[in-house]
Amino acid sequence: MKRYVLMIAVALTLCAVSVGAQTDTTAFDRYSLWLGGHYTDFNDYAKKVGEYRLIDDNVFGEFRLDLLSRRGSTLFSLNGHFFDEKNILGQVNVTTGNRLAASFQYRSLVHQLGQDLLSNLAAREAINGAPGGKMLTHEILDPGADYNIHRQEVLSTFDVLLSERGNVHMVAAHRMILREGTDQSRSVSHCFSCHAESRTRQVQNTTHNLELGLQADLTEDKTIGYRFGYRQFKSDAPDAYAPYDDAKHPTAITNAGTEAEFDSRQAYEDTTLRVNALPQTEKMSHRVRFKGNLGKGRFSTALGYARTENQETDLSSDAVTGTINYSHPLGDQTRLVAKVYAARQEADDPFIDLPTYRAGRPGGAAFANLEFDYTRYSVIDRTHARATAEVIHRLNPRWTVSVLGGYEMIDRDDYPVADDGLQTKRFIGQIGARFRKGLNYSSRMKYRFEKTSDPFVSGRGLFEYPGVDSLARDWNGTGATFGFIFYHDREDLRYQAITTEPTDFHQFEWNSNWQATPKVGLSIGVRGFYDKNSDLDSLDVSHFSFIPNLNVNLTPSDKLAATVGYTYNHYKSRGPVSVALFDG
Amino acid sequence: MGCFLKGEGRAMRLVLLLAVPSFGLFFAGNLSAGVANSACADCHELSETFHKTPHGVYFSQDADLAEASCEKCHGSAVDHLNSGDPKDILNPAKMDQFGSSFLCLNCHKGHQFDEWAFSAHNTAGVKCASCHTIHADYTAEKTSETEMCFGCHSEVRASTFMPSHHPIAEGKLTCRDCHNVHGGETMFVEDQTAGELCYSCHAEKEGPFVYEHAPVQEDCMICHSPHGTVADNLLKQSEPALCLNCHSMHFHATVEGVEGTFIPPAEPDRVTESTLGAWKSGMLTKCSQCHTAVHGSDLPSQTISTGGNALTR
Repeated sequence: MKRYVLMIAVALTLCAVSVGAQTDTTAFDRYSLWLGGHYTDFNDYAKKVGEYRLIDDNVFGEFRLDLLSRRGSTLFSLNGHFFDEKNILGQVNVTTGNRLAASFQYRSLVHQLGQDLLSNLAAREAINGAPGGKMLTHEILDPGADYNIHRQEVLSTFDVLLSERGNVHMVAAHRMILREGTDQSRSVSHCFSCHAESRTRQVQNTTHNLELGLQADLTEDKTIGYRFGYRQFKSDAPDAYAPYDDAKHPTAITNAGTEAEFDSRQAYEDTTLRVNALPQTEKMSHRVRFKGNLGKGRFSTALGYARTENQETDLSSDAVTGTINYSHPLGDQTRLVAKVYAARQEADDPFIDLPTYRAGRPGGAAFANLEFDYTRYSVIDRTHARATAEVIHRLNPRWTVSVLGGYEMIDRDDYPVADDGLQTKRFIGQIGARFRKGLNYSSRMKYRFEKTSDPFVSGRGLFEYPGVDSLARDWNGTGATFGFIFYHDREDLRYQAITTEPTDFHQFEWNSNWQATPKVGLSIGVRGFYDKNSDLDSLDVSHFSFIPNLNVNLTPSDKLAATVGYTYNHYKSRGPVSVALFDG
Repeated sequence: MGCFLKGEGRAMRLVLLLAVPSFGLFFAGNLSAGVANSACADCHELSETFHKTPHGVYFSQDADLAEASCEKCHGSAVDHLNSGDPKDILNPAKMDQFGSSFLCLNCHKGHQFDEWAFSAHNTAGVKCASCHTIHADYTAEKTSETEMCFGCHSEVRASTFMPSHHPIAEGKLTCRDCHNVHGGETMFVEDQTAGELCYSCHAEKEGPFVYEHAPVQEDCMICHSPHGTVADNLLKQSEPALCLNCHSMHFHATVEGVEGTFIPPAEPDRVTESTLGAWKSGMLTKCSQCHTAVHGSDLPSQTISTGGNALTR
C-alpha cells in the first residue's frame, strides 16, 4: 500500500541574518542564513503529497544559505537549501567580466514509488459451469518493501570567451544523473495459466550528458558554431531474474485437454531468465549552426547528426536533422517569421529467431515445423518535415495581429499499418491579436486549428510487425481442413489498427492584464482546447479542456509583492475502450 | 543594509543574467544626448537607486556611462525633459518585438540569444522586460523563476498540482530544465526528434530496442502529459483505459476475481464466469502489471504468437 505523508510546515525561523556591506558600487557582499525545521507525519491524506518527500516520521533540521559577492567585474553567488538528507539543493555561480561564466549545481531528491500488491490478479474461469478454465495467480515475494529512488544530479557549465575579436566562445557542460534505490520488478509466467510475481530490484542507473561547443562571429552579423554532444546511460545494478515454469494448460487437468497445446505457445519454459533489464546505451551527436543577416532579414540554420547505440544488442539508430529559421521585415510594421524543420531517422532491423510451432491441438501436427522467424522493421524509420510561416502586423500602437500557417508531414517507412496509415499530414492555422493601452491595460488572444489526416495509429497492438498478414493467410490457406480458428489466427483477427490521436484540434486563449493602480494589478484569462477524431479507425475519441484563471497582484513596496490567484482546470477525455472479442 | 529574508536560490539567476557583463560589450549609445541621471531623478525615484542595480553596477565601471546611463536604454531624454510627455522617450517596457528585445540584445550578445528572433516568446509579443525586472536592485524581492512562468502559463501551474506530477511545485525542477525560454537549442538535447527532450533525462527509455512499442518512438506525449495528471506516472488516463484505447482487453481480466492467491482448480469456490462484476474488476487491472517493459525491451516475451513482442520482460 502506498504510504502518504503530510508535511506540516512548521518552518520555524530560528535565525535570519542579512548583511550588506556596500563600500562602493563595485564591491559588496550580501548573505543570509536561514535556520529552521519541519516535521513530517503520515496519514491517509488523499493527495500524493509524499511522492517527493522523505518518508520518515520525524523532525528535520533545515537551513538555507544565500551569498552574493562582487569585486569589480567578478560576481560570485552561492545558494544552498538543505531540506533533509535526501532533498538538497546547492548552486555556485562565478562570472568574471565577460571572460568566464561558470556554474555548478547539485540537486538531490527522493521519489517514492509505492508497491503494487497485484491483488487484483486472482481470477478463475469456469467452463460449462464446472471448475476449470484459465487461472490467474500472483505472488509478492517482498511484500514489506518500500520502494523509492534517490535521484542526484550534478551539473557543471562553463562559457569562456576565448577571444573578444570574433566573440569566440567555448562552451562546455556536463551533467550526471544518478538514480539509486529499489524498485518493483514484475514478471509473468504462463505456467498454469498465468502467474505474476513481484520481487525487489536494485536500481543504480547513471546518465552522463556532455556538451562541448565552439562559437564565433565570422563578421558583424554572421555567426558559426559547432556542438558535440555525448550521452551515456548504464545500469550497474544486479540483474533481476524470474522463473518460467513448465507450461500446462488448465484443461489438461480439468477437461482432459492436452498439455502440449499450451506448451506449443511458449518460446521458453522451465528456466530462470533475466527480466526488466536496461541496456547500456550511448549517443553521440554533431551539430553545426550558422546565423546571420540576409538582406533585411535574419536567418539561422542548423544541421545535426546523431547516432544512438544499444551496446547490449549492437542495435543503432541514426538521425539527421536540419532547421532553417528566417525573419524578414515586410515594411516598418510587419514581420514574417518562417521556420522549416526536417529530419530523417533510421534504425537497424534485427532478425527475430523464434522456436518453431509445436502444434498440440488436433490437426496441428501438419504445422509442427511452422517457422515464426521474422525481421523486425523499426518503427523509428521515418521522414519528418514541418514548415510554418507567421506574419505579424502592427495595425497601430495599440493593436498587433498575427496569422500563422503551417504544414507537417511524417512519412513512416516500415510502419505495420498498410496504406493510409503510413503517412501523416497536418495543416496548421493560427490567428492572434494583442491589444495594449498605455502601460495599464493589455490583452491578448489566440486561436489555433490543426487538421490532421491519418494521425499516428497503433498498428495491431501486440502484433506489430510486417508480414503478419501473409503469415495468417498462409495458415488459412493451407489449413483448410481445420475445423476451428487457430490461436494465432485469433491474434490476427483481434487486433486492428486504431488511433487515439485527434484529426481536428482547436485551441483558444485569451488573457487580459489591468494595472488598476500602481500597487494593484488584475489578470484574468481563459484558455483551453477541444480535439476529436471521428474517423473509422478511431473509437470516436475527444478531449476538452477549459481553464479560466484570475490573479490579483499587490505590490505595496518594491520589497514586498503578493499574488492571489485562482485557476480552475476542467479536463474531459472521451476514450472508449476496445474489449476482447475472443477467448484466448 | 537590506532586509533579505528569502532569496530563493535559483531566482537569483535572473538578476545575474542581467548583471553578467559577459553577454556582450556595452554598445556605443548613439541615442544618448548626455542628460545626467540626476536630471531623471528629479521625477523618477528609480534613478536615485539605479546605481545599486546590476545594470547600474556595471555602468559604474565606466565614468561616462555612470553619469548618463538612463539614456543608454531610453534614448535621448532632451525632448522628454522639456515636455514631460512619456511619448517623447523610449520605454522598452511598452515596446514590442519590433524594438525592445533587440534594444537589449545590442549589449547582451551572448550566443544563447541567437534564436530569440524566431522564438515562440518573441513572436507572441513577450519582451525582455516581461520577465526581467530591469531596474531591480540586489535587495529587491525576487520572484522565483517558476512562479514567474506561471504568471502567464497558468494552466501549467494547475497541472503541477495534479496527483502525479514532475516535482515542479516542490521546487525540485524548474521550467528551464526542459524549456529554453529564449528559443533555440536546449542543453543536452542531442537531436531535434520527438522524445529527445524526455530522453535527455530518461535515457533508459530511448533504446533502440529489439522489441519496440510504437508510441514511444512516435511521441512520449501520446501517453504522457509531462506537467501533471490525475493518473499515475503522468499518464493521460489511468490503466487499463489508456491501453485499451488501442489494444483489446485480455480474457484474464474479465473473469470474476477471487480471494486469496491460489486455490486448487477443483475448489468449487473458484468457479465464476465473466460477468458484469468481472468486467468492472477487469477495469482495475493495470496492463503494466504483466507488460512491464512498455517502453521497449531487448528480451523476448514468452508467447510465440506475439513474435516475442508482448513486452512482458
